[in-house]
Amino acid sequence: MATDVMIQASSVSKRFGHVRALDKVNFEVKRGEVVGFLGPNGAGKSTTMRILTCYIAPSAGTAKVHGHDVFDEPLAVRQALGYLPQRAPLYTDMNVMEYLKFAAEIRGLDESVFKKRLKTVVEVCGLAQSLGKEIGTLSHGYRQRVGLGQALIHDPPILILDEPTSDLDPNEKAEVLRYIKEIGKDRTILLSTHNLAEVEEACARAIIVSKGRVVADGPLDSITAKTGRVRYVVAIDEKNAELGKKAPGIAEVQSAFGALMGVRSTKELPTDETAHRLELIGPQDTDLRAEIFRLVVQKGWTLLELRRDAQSLDAVFRDLTRGDERADRGDAWAAAHGRARDEDEEGEEDEADEKAAQAAAAEDEDEDDDESDDDDDDDDDAEEQRDRKG
Amino acid sequence: MSPMMTIAKREFRSYFDSPLAYVVMCLSFLALGFMFFVLRGGFWQTDRATVQKVFEFTPWGLSLLVIPVVTMRLVAEERRSGTLEMLITLPVRDSDVIGGKYLGALGLVLVLVAGTAFYPFAMFKMPWHLGPLDMGPVWSGYLGLILFSAAGVAIGLLVSSFVESQAVAFFITFAVLGTLWFLDDLAEVSGQSALGNVLRYVSFQTRLAGFWRGLIDTRDVIYFLSVTAAALVVSFRALERRKWA
Repeated sequence: MATDVMIQASSVSKRFGHVRALDKVNFEVKRGEVVGFLGPNGAGKSTTMRILTCYIAPSAGTAKVHGHDVFDEPLAVRQALGYLPQRAPLYTDMNVMEYLKFAAEIRGLDESVFKKRLKTVVEVCGLAQSLGKEIGTLSHGYRQRVGLGQALIHDPPILILDEPTSDLDPNEKAEVLRYIKEIGKDRTILLSTHNLAEVEEACARAIIVSKGRVVADGPLDSITAKTGRVRYVVAIDEKNAELGKKAPGIAEVQSAFGALMGVRSTKELPTDETAHRLELIGPQDTDLRAEIFRLVVQKGWTLLELRRDAQSLDAVFRDLTRGDERADRGDAWAAAHGRARDEDEEGEEDEADEKAAQAAAAEDEDEDDDESDDDDDDDDDAEEQRDRKG
Repeated sequence: MSPMMTIAKREFRSYFDSPLAYVVMCLSFLALGFMFFVLRGGFWQTDRATVQKVFEFTPWGLSLLVIPVVTMRLVAEERRSGTLEMLITLPVRDSDVIGGKYLGALGLVLVLVAGTAFYPFAMFKMPWHLGPLDMGPVWSGYLGLILFSAAGVAIGLLVSSFVESQAVAFFITFAVLGTLWFLDDLAEVSGQSALGNVLRYVSFQTRLAGFWRGLIDTRDVIYFLSVTAAALVVSFRALERRKWA
């Protein structure tokens, strides 16, 4: 293959009846990358993976794996990748050895190559003790290992793993992640999950999807900076102040910090009766700690705590996929959880989402066309689907 | 080995990894033995050197028990358990999956059909020698059974491709094959009317009757082959429709 792009999705859309599961998804995965594919349940992760593995066809757009189009060359695509679907569905009536041999035979591996590969797979996936056991008698963790084993049996350059750690206990999760890191040293891996800690542990890059759209794509550091906000936690002693000065009340503290240049919002955090504890939200590109400190000194307050948190991936994920939760639970829920957005906040978040989506698509010039009218898109999709069927 | 044959081999072997194949075989042979020797006076009342009863009764068992049981899980169970996704995302064509599953199931049914050869062999060769057996109707009878099995398994696979529940697949296949078998009796009721002729034309029983008598009519052969091919093509399409769901 001439190019280093191993997986490429270009404006991939998928409709299930009237439901649009994927909406012009664009991303690329290059050789040797281990990429986390994140999103809440129903965001379109599995649909994307099923399209990439040729299980279902896109309604519109194109996807290529190892340079082969998933629609035109499905066998070449499947030959180039190893796939572990969600919950590792395996033939429970076969034993592990039989199953791996079955997968190898279908992939056209001859006996000697199979034996050689089996040795490696057994070593990497830790299957030595289970080869003779019936799959139906294995724990979830071991079934995942077998699923990984079959995905690796032909030594594919690309691995697509759909929630490989779901249903596993913490020990099994750690084991499976260790395997992924181990096998990811010399392979391209697209790892779907909604467990952010796993992505932070195993991946250098993440793609976040929400409601069928890519809302963030890039190295983890740049994704965590995507929302353009930083959180500060400040605690002021509410009993004591500088000699001769009165201890501050919460309203005074809140209004003083709120008036600081760059502070977008303030919120009181739960604490004991000795301190006022506040959360301040500031911009990504400015560090407000010095300003906060100067204000405290000027007012003669006693500073008990000052902390700056970069947005964690978890927070970014929640931020970027908030619409999914709101859609599922309704506005009443959002209001009850302090997420009823006033116009300013909404504008801000939309802007953040838009920024993220644009950043995700920056590498793809075709994205410009994607902003066209929805109705036109629908017609195009339907037309393309008809063409493909034809 | 081609992917289709690998799938067929797995499918065939999987029947013997569960009690299913053994139970179905035992029940079938018990039922056939009862029908052959006991029902309506049995073989001994026929007073002729013939095993026509084997060919008359075996399709009953195949239609009402064996084929529905053997085919009910072919695609339905794989779809339910998710293994279909794993299978299809291996480098196989959809036609390999349908063909492999079909051949695996047909293989088991033909093992059962081959098992019925015990009757002519035991009664007319060893240990008993009840007289010279006219082998013509025996060979044609088996050809009919093979063609019937081929069509029946294809119909079972077709049903299994459309539903997600094994139980539903069983009952639909049971109903379809039972109906196709007993259409001949309905045709008798309808007499020589146009409806009666149509029912007779599509009835499996009518189509098999010639084979029992040693008559191989190409129209009957083509009928069974056509049903088989049509059912397999529709099964293939049913599997393929997931792409466009």
